[in-house]
Amino acid sequence: HVAEDTSDLLQHVKFQSSNFENILTWDSRPESAPDTVYSVEYKKYGEREWLAKEGCQRITRKSCNLTLETGNPMEHYYARVTAISAGGPSATKMTDRFSSLYHTTIKPPNVTCIPKVRSIQMIVRPSTTPIHTGDGHRLTLEDVFPDLSYHLELQVNHTYQMHLGGKQREYEFIGLTPDTEFLGAIRIFVPALVRESDPYMCRVKTLPDRTWT
Amino acid sequence: QEFQFGPCRVEGVVLQELWEAFWAMKDIVQAKDNITNVRLLRKEVLQNVSNAESCYLIRALLKFYLNTVFKNYQDKAADFRVRKSFSTLANNFVVIVSKLQPSQENEMFSVSDSARRRFLLFQRAFKQLDIEAAQTKAFGEVDILLTWMEKFYQL
Repeated sequence: HVAEDTSDLLQHVKFQSSNFENILTWDSRPESAPDTVYSVEYKKYGEREWLAKEGCQRITRKSCNLTLETGNPMEHYYARVTAISAGGPSATKMTDRFSSLYHTTIKPPNVTCIPKVRSIQMIVRPSTTPIHTGDGHRLTLEDVFPDLSYHLELQVNHTYQMHLGGKQREYEFIGLTPDTEFLGAIRIFVPALVRESDPYMCRVKTLPDRTWT
Repeated sequence: QEFQFGPCRVEGVVLQELWEAFWAMKDIVQAKDNITNVRLLRKEVLQNVSNAESCYLIRALLKFYLNTVFKNYQDKAADFRVRKSFSTLANNFVVIVSKLQPSQENEMFSVSDSARRRFLLFQRAFKQLDIEAAQTKAFGEVDILLTWMEKFYQL
């Protein structure tokens, strides 16, 4: 009996996670049967039973939102996809061990950049996550990562940048030239996990100085 | 920066370095463990460990990792080209164990016994598997161990 090659049906079964939103995705080769349907199961690492994900049974799309099912950042999970093509072979593939605490990508922060005459104020709004506590309180990234901090950089000219940073949410770059454009970049940094977000960029122009006009 | 496992203080170990060392190996090692329905460091082993117990438990676990898991993993680490990270992790575990001096006084017997029962849960699960599979699984669970150790780490 020659095992049928089913690798066409299913490839790259993995979690894509950002700010603890955990999406299971997969691929199939272009030439695989178009009428292929997919079913998703998941479980905690260490548990015997696979659980069927409601809403992702016999679907044709190649993604499934498992945020709720894999929502405990301290837990480790597996997911697997079974692909079935009409009248043809099926294939099942499993993810690597997944833990959102280690695997989630941190999105750029939400920031408001407020230009003044000789300064630029930057106010960071905490990033929410889909994680809820027992009493329904929704956690922010700051809640999940106690050592989280913000790194702010202001490009003054080609050779000179100003830097600020810390755990607070309000910052101000001072001593700037009026009526001048600056480029700000604000990142989230989590030292314990050696993780940094992509920057939130803001291009702002300080206000003209009208004191003498 | 130090660990404070109840009465046992361990200075001079940077937890972040342990994380970085393990991350370099994590995907390779965990991918080799395809027994998804067995977890050695289960909740019953690590949950609700009292401060007093923690020194006994961490000492037993790290000694086991050094003597039973890491000792036989040297060659594999070379095969997986993660020998440097492997050495960092193992050397730091040696440092931690060398600085753990749990009290041997009689009145601590019930605490040490509780820690011993937790460790035996882990060891029994380990022994139920083929030795190679068990070593790979234990190695792949170092992130679970480090997450628990992090609770006793003070910056």
